[in-house]
Amino acid sequence: MAVNETTERNHLLPCGRDLEQVWQHLDEGDADAHEATCPHCRAARESLLALRAATRELIDEPEEPPPDLLGRIMSAVRADARRGRMLELPTPHTGGIEVSEQAIAVIVRYAADSVPGVRARNCRVRQTRAESGSPGPVDVELTIAVPFGPLTLDEVLPDVRARVAAALPDRIGTTLRRLDIHVGDLYEPPSGTGPDGSEGPK
Amino acid sequence: MTSGKLSMVVAPPVIAAVAAHAATGTPGVARLEPGVRGLLAVLTRAGRQRWTDADPAPTEGVRVRVTGAGLIVHVDIAVRSKGPAAEVGRAVQEQVAREVDEQTGQPVDAVYVHILDIEPEL
Repeated sequence: MAVNETTERNHLLPCGRDLEQVWQHLDEGDADAHEATCPHCRAARESLLALRAATRELIDEPEEPPPDLLGRIMSAVRADARRGRMLELPTPHTGGIEVSEQAIAVIVRYAADSVPGVRARNCRVRQTRAESGSPGPVDVELTIAVPFGPLTLDEVLPDVRARVAAALPDRIGTTLRRLDIHVGDLYEPPSGTGPDGSEGPK
Repeated sequence: MTSGKLSMVVAPPVIAAVAAHAATGTPGVARLEPGVRGLLAVLTRAGRQRWTDADPAPTEGVRVRVTGAGLIVHVDIAVRSKGPAAEVGRAVQEQVAREVDEQTGQPVDAVYVHILDIEPEL
C-alpha cells in the first residue's frame, strides 16, 4: 500500500489544482477558465458550497441550547482548574486512583476550622514516596488565623494537628506525615462570641 | 444464530457510556467531572446524533483508550461520601471493569480514577 509523502498532497485535486485555491475562488466569486470547465474543480466547488450551507444552518440553528449548558460549562471549567496537581492513593487494582490537591485542601481546612476559634486559610499538600515506591503519606502546610484573647497557641495547635491527622485517613484514605502550621493572622473576635471564638451558648 | 467465527468490535464511545453508567451508579460518587475538553466532545457528538434523532448516552468525564497495554479507562469524578475517597475510587475501579466486561465483552486492562472534588456529606 502506498502512502502519501505528506498530508499536504491530500488537498490536491486529480486535475492537479489545490483545493485551497478553489476555496479562495469561491470566496472571491471568480472561477477562472480552468475551473469553469474542469469536472474535478466543479465537484470540489459544489462540495464546498454544501459544506458552507450546512455550517451556516448550524450557526442559524433556532433551537435554544440546553438550559443547563451554562452550568455544565462552569462546572467543566472548575473541574479543569482543580486538575492541576494530583496526589496518588493506594489501590490493589490495575490502574490508579488520584485525588486533586485542592480536594484534600478542602478537607484539611474543614478539619482545622472545626477547632473553636481557628480559621483556616491557605493550605498546600505534598505527597511523599514510600520506600516501596507506592504512594506515601502527605506533608501539609497550613496557614491559620486565631483570635486575640486568652486562647494560647499551645492549647490550639495540638487540636488542629489531631483533627487534620484524623480527617486525612477518614475522608481521603491517606495519612499525615508532617504538618507545618503558620499562624498568619490574629483577629478580633466579633462581639457576642466566646473567648475561643465560638458563637457562645445557644 | 450463525455458525462460524463471529467477531465483534465495540466502539470506544459505547465502552465510555457503559463506564460512565457504572461510575455514576457506584455509591459515594456525586457526579462525573467532564472538564472543558470532555464537555466539548460530548456536545459535538450530541449535535451529530441529533440529525439521526438519537439521544447519545452520557460519556462526559470518561476517556477510553485502546493502546498497546490494552483497554484503558480514565474516569473523572466528584465524591460525596462519609468514608475515605480512596474507598470510593477502588469501588469505581471494580464496578467499571465489571460492567464493561459484562455488557460489552471487552476485558478492561486498567481503570484510572481521578477524584477532582470531594463534597461534604449532607
